[in-house]
Amino acid sequence: MTTLVPVTFKGGVYRHDEIMDLIDDLGGYIVQKHVMAQDVVLQSFVPRDDIELIREIAKPLAGTVTEAPLVGTEIAVVSPSLEIHHLPHTSCDLAEYLRRSGAKTNMIGLSRGFGKRIANLNDEERDVINEHDLAVYTLGNFEECIRQKFPVLRQGIHVPIVVTGAPDRETLVRIVDPPVEGYVGGVGRIMHRFKRPEELVKLDELVDEVSRTLDARRDALARDPLSVFPPRLMAIIEERIHEISMLTHPTPVTAQMEGLRVKLPYDPYAPAIRSLEVVDGITIGDIADVTPSRMRNYILIRIKPFSETRILV
Amino acid sequence: MPPLNYFVVESPDSVGREAYERIAADVLQDLDLVKVIDRLHIFVDPKVPIFAAAGLLRHMPRAIRVGDFANVNSGEKEIVLDIGDETYLAPLLRVLWARYGKENVDQPDRFTVVLPAGLAGEEELDRLVVADPGESLHKDVIYALQYIAPEGFKVRRQYIRDEKFYYVASEDTLPGDIVEKVVAPLFTKMGVTL
Repeated sequence: MTTLVPVTFKGGVYRHDEIMDLIDDLGGYIVQKHVMAQDVVLQSFVPRDDIELIREIAKPLAGTVTEAPLVGTEIAVVSPSLEIHHLPHTSCDLAEYLRRSGAKTNMIGLSRGFGKRIANLNDEERDVINEHDLAVYTLGNFEECIRQKFPVLRQGIHVPIVVTGAPDRETLVRIVDPPVEGYVGGVGRIMHRFKRPEELVKLDELVDEVSRTLDARRDALARDPLSVFPPRLMAIIEERIHEISMLTHPTPVTAQMEGLRVKLPYDPYAPAIRSLEVVDGITIGDIADVTPSRMRNYILIRIKPFSETRILV
Repeated sequence: MPPLNYFVVESPDSVGREAYERIAADVLQDLDLVKVIDRLHIFVDPKVPIFAAAGLLRHMPRAIRVGDFANVNSGEKEIVLDIGDETYLAPLLRVLWARYGKENVDQPDRFTVVLPAGLAGEEELDRLVVADPGESLHKDVIYALQYIAPEGFKVRRQYIRDEKFYYVASEDTLPGDIVEKVVAPLFTKMGVTL
């Protein structure tokens, strides 16, 4: 079986459809396409052996193909509040950098995430965070505050968490108990854009921590594979449900590691999605749970593992 | 770092102390207050929890009077205000309207305001206060301190008069003697008494 690896193609608009066709012909999937003026960015999964071929064909078009470890993941960047203390610099810069590595990020500003004594998480915030592949918590400057607040802010969260804060990594490891999947120290409340070299290094460190965490999840998934590869299901849904082409969201269907988020209202569209045939009489309802999302009234599709369905398409 | 004559951030948490130094510098720069604040001492202890800032302003800009930006020429029939700088034209018109009534204030062109003679003395008009830049400055300084203080610290006490200002904030109720116990020593460190 060919291994699909996440890559980003960056190039000009001119003849970029050739690259899209090529990825399609090679059996790859385009998860996200951005057109910004004269530039095109394609986040895609392509067969590992064919990367060189894509590079070769992209060369005369001045396109570049780079590894993008986070393609096909949806990450929540959780900031304790929506006040100027937390936004925009730290949270937005972190989210933007994760996006450059291919992730689809959503920023979640908690309504009561501040203060040691009163910090809390409501059930809607908890559920929305849990709909992601991973959550990055952007915490502040003081060790004492992180120690007291974090246990409350993580209550009920079962997705992997990466914590950022001003205390160094070792301190974060010591004070965050039970441990989380990733730590990035030296990033606290910053009132300016990340621009100094030591700050930019922290952003790279964050991407490393996040990809390491997600790789571990991918390895676990490989032991009991999903019944269908999410980008494949994404392509099927986009092809058959034509209303998706009319949505104005940047990612009308968002690929996650274990499912998809379809940005159509649940009630009218869920039955149609459930009964959509994937291959030979197998419908989406057979291999996945189609549930309402806590984010607006979207649809969340969770693909079941092979061990549960005994189907692999 | 801004060219303040005295700038100290004090905290038992060394990482937090450094971060706050940078935050305060960024905020003061962003809000263009570096030239306004002369001395600033910040104390933060997240364990108490308490955030206290005390400082001194440089000389406050004085109130703007008509004479600062316009010539007052009284004639037999009318008084003509010849505007040199338009910056304060809008507040000037507001003040004149309120004082003498809209029907008595005529503005034939951008740089001229005409009043009927005898409505006001030349001297009185010349000294008429139009705007007070210090007023918004006080708000800006307090806003900056709110901005610098940790976000959860919603209970606060603030003071700004003449050149001195302080801002104390906490998550919990502030004790009644907080100014004497915490703020006054900060002023002492800067060589000033509150």
